[in-house]
Amino acid sequence: MTNKNFDVIVIGAGHAGCEAALAAARLGCSTLMLATNLDTVAFLACNPSVGGTAKGQIVKEIDALGGEMAVNADKSLLQMRMLNRGKGPAVFSPRAQVDKNAYHTNMKQTVEHTPNLHLRQGEATDIEAAEDGGYYVTTAVQLRYHCRAVVLCCGVYLNSRTLVGQCVRDSGPNGFANAKQLSDSLVRLGFELHRFKTGTPARVRLDSIDLAKTVEQKGEEDVAPFSYMTPSVPSAKRSCYLTYSTEQTKRIILQNKHLAPIYNGSINGVGPRYCPSIEDKVVRFADKERHQIFLEPESEDTCEFYVQGASSSMPADVQEQIYHSIEGLENAEIMRDAYAIEYDCIDATQLDASLMAKHLAGVFFAGQINGTSGYEEAAGQGIVAGINAERYVHGKPPFTLRRDNSYIGVLIDDITTKQNTEPYRMMTSRAEYRLVLRQDNADLRLTELGRQIGLVSDERYNKFLHKKQQIEQGMQQLNTVVSPKVYGSLFEQKGEAVTGAGLTLDEMLRRPNISAKDVQQLGYLQGLDGDALQQIELESKYSGYIRKEQEAIAQAAKLENKLLPPDIDYMSIDGLRIEARQKLDKIRPKNLGQAGRILGVSPADIQILIVYLAQVIHK
Amino acid sequence: MNNTIVALSTAVGRAAIAVVRMSGEQAIEIAKKFFAPFPTQPNFLRVGKLSTEHFDEQAMCVYFVAPHSYTGENTVEFHCHGGVAVAQAVIETCLKNGAVMAQNGEFSKRAFVNGKQNLSNAEGIIEMIDAETASAAKAGANLLENNLGKRIVQLQDELLDVLSACEVALDYPEEDLELPTVGTAKQRLQQVEEQLSALISTSTLGKVARYGIDVAIVGRPNVGKSSLLNALLGTDRAIVSEIQGTTRDTLRESVNYRDIRFNFVDTAGLRNSDDVIEAEGVRRAKKAADSADVVLHVTDDPNDRSVYPTVRPQVRIYNKSDLYEREPCCVDSLVVSAKYGDVEIIKETLYEMFSAKDIDSSDLLITNERHLDCLQRSKRQLASAIAACDAATLDVVTDQIRLAWQTLGEITGTSAQEDVIDRIYSKFCLGK
Repeated sequence: MTNKNFDVIVIGAGHAGCEAALAAARLGCSTLMLATNLDTVAFLACNPSVGGTAKGQIVKEIDALGGEMAVNADKSLLQMRMLNRGKGPAVFSPRAQVDKNAYHTNMKQTVEHTPNLHLRQGEATDIEAAEDGGYYVTTAVQLRYHCRAVVLCCGVYLNSRTLVGQCVRDSGPNGFANAKQLSDSLVRLGFELHRFKTGTPARVRLDSIDLAKTVEQKGEEDVAPFSYMTPSVPSAKRSCYLTYSTEQTKRIILQNKHLAPIYNGSINGVGPRYCPSIEDKVVRFADKERHQIFLEPESEDTCEFYVQGASSSMPADVQEQIYHSIEGLENAEIMRDAYAIEYDCIDATQLDASLMAKHLAGVFFAGQINGTSGYEEAAGQGIVAGINAERYVHGKPPFTLRRDNSYIGVLIDDITTKQNTEPYRMMTSRAEYRLVLRQDNADLRLTELGRQIGLVSDERYNKFLHKKQQIEQGMQQLNTVVSPKVYGSLFEQKGEAVTGAGLTLDEMLRRPNISAKDVQQLGYLQGLDGDALQQIELESKYSGYIRKEQEAIAQAAKLENKLLPPDIDYMSIDGLRIEARQKLDKIRPKNLGQAGRILGVSPADIQILIVYLAQVIHK
Repeated sequence: MNNTIVALSTAVGRAAIAVVRMSGEQAIEIAKKFFAPFPTQPNFLRVGKLSTEHFDEQAMCVYFVAPHSYTGENTVEFHCHGGVAVAQAVIETCLKNGAVMAQNGEFSKRAFVNGKQNLSNAEGIIEMIDAETASAAKAGANLLENNLGKRIVQLQDELLDVLSACEVALDYPEEDLELPTVGTAKQRLQQVEEQLSALISTSTLGKVARYGIDVAIVGRPNVGKSSLLNALLGTDRAIVSEIQGTTRDTLRESVNYRDIRFNFVDTAGLRNSDDVIEAEGVRRAKKAADSADVVLHVTDDPNDRSVYPTVRPQVRIYNKSDLYEREPCCVDSLVVSAKYGDVEIIKETLYEMFSAKDIDSSDLLITNERHLDCLQRSKRQLASAIAACDAATLDVVTDQIRLAWQTLGEITGTSAQEDVIDRIYSKFCLGK
């Protein structure tokens, strides 16, 4: 007889679902992952790339916690680049082009070979509370499963419809079936739904592109893989190509503007400003003569190329004209049309920082269903939701990340605190402690936490301990004084002024042109690996700024540590402005820090809460 | 709430003593930096020397150790000479050494939060905060209506422009955007810094508007300084006699002329004296002159061309004009007769000096200590951003600009992260 009883059911097998299911199963929960179609497991529905600014940091954080995205991207790599070189370590961001098919296949294999994890095709249509405090999940074919905790990772499939001009279809992305009934079930369970939209460009045949009119973008050979566990991978297997839209592109769009669903009113969803369609770019930034377009390989085993920068919801024949007006695409053969997609998502302020519904214990949400966008944002939430589903099932306290230890912490705090008015994309500018949340120290920030949770293997943990110990060893040497006789020629060669006095290693490293490797060549910091050297160098060079940031963190922690009792009757607190009362009552922040980040809650309101709290404590 | 706050605890203005109170974890350490000898035990007043940037002041100091104080925190009080200038200087010294300006009612709030006030006061305090919020909102609205508010909003906007351009460069490295170079960013930051400096410099005038203008009356003995004070006040406030050295101590009296308050300080006649008390009076006279906004250098000799040694602006007054046989030698001076009450020209001149060009209700004037504090902090952060343009990478520069922008936002109440993101999307065409 087939088992219908699980600890955790994950609905959806995209980037959030896979991380959630893997985490729950690896932590010992019998886990069922449902997907409307098993060919959608870890499907890269939009661009064939992983990482980028702020997102690359998230991938590294998932890895440090013991998640899968980094490993899977490394396995499926086509090329890797480090963005923002020269702009400072806080914003160095690894970005990979990955093989879309391999990415799906590799992840599906990992899922299939994970003990406790069962992958099952099936469209969830209903969730209802069970008598025992668990939940029943029913599928479209009337199978009913029972679980203790459910994690919803439905992506953009809820009540979704795709738009190509006037052609509107009830469909998920890429023609996959959508989920029609689950939205109603969520409303019955007390969730507030919003309607967001996003879009994707056309795919064109590589051999129909005139590559001579484009600029080749090769991968960089020396970029470290995403995962701390991946030894090294060839990082320049395939190239991308840069090209531009033309005056003609502009003309075609302006002539056909009335046919675009986004301008003729047939789209209701709110789209992201950071990912505008080509028609949106042309209309909103009319002065700009041309727009940059990147052509990216979808996979090793297909000719399909992704036309990054040119998503559209114009009618198919207009799309054809638009793409043909792009330099190098004059004769391009379109293989898949661009489309816009509208979908239901929940109001994530109904969730707490563990991604569990505040009013419904045991129900978790992760990914685009929470109003975010992006694979990495989804996966980052997925691992947190999966971990917490397991902890809920086993009666452990929730696991939460903070704004000062991770981008994932910033992301979850933002979406559960501020109501999104558009799909939420992570940006480095959203992180107030950017200098400490670097891609190079994600392991130092989070491996210990991952270990405590139980997702970090001995191998990973030992690697981490080794690096940490090397860093400590190096830090202890920083006060060693070096005589000018020893460093003189190095400084001259690097264009640094020689003072004539001895310098400590720390003082040497603070010189802009002196690296830890240089110092090592002088005979110091011996035996330390490149990773440890890099940490020592950054901590030295940026120590003043990092210290300032750490002071700010300590300052903010005072408010973060002032917990707000869950049962406060905000509506009756004298002195709070009405808007603040309503917002606080709705969002029910965990602490004063979070309360202060709610839009519509002023510093004066926080003062009143401080007084109120003191009053409660002294009673 | 553990930062150390400072404020004047007694009423602003003329009084025998002024009490400046400082509360917070660091209060005692901060006080020790500029008050010596520091009291050896808590709860006992001790006389000592309080060193400010402008002058040393003899004052009394008492400290209380948490939780045995009004606020329940470490607290230090300075009891110093009355008057605005002294208290101002003491507060400035505290600020320079790490304290921050207290918000209205903050001492009471802390007292309450630390359990030093009983619950029956709670409602009252909430009301107080409520009122504060309302008045703060009102003050904010007023601020935004005037030119000062507008100027700050302008500067903030300018910073937001630079900031969002930097953020775009960091978050969208692959877009072909026309982004400013570090050089032009630096130039724009420097312009903002200059404007901040200009604003900060108006704070002196702001003080004038709020506390009035300190006018020291100095000169040799018996030139009629006290008579002049009496004439200016229109009362017989100072003792006047023909005996040299009648005025031993400084005497401070205020009078309003049109919309400005002048605080006249009569001083002992300047001469070398063996009399200990008189010598002290002379020392105080010099000190009064050095901390005044303007010095009236009084003489009764029409041939006197001497200049009083001070960095402060000075006006030479030829007194006793009724006795002169010819015009005084220096034309850029005022000629009066205190005896016949003929001193209006002094008030008129002072008024011209401080009002006509500088204090104009439509002009910019920093009168609020908290605003000044924000502007000064913002300027320091901006300086750090400018320095980082040459010495560090764009990530660091951007973080410093953001801090400066947020600090200005403490005045205008607008510095949400959303503002940056909105600006990014409204100005730049981004996206894949």
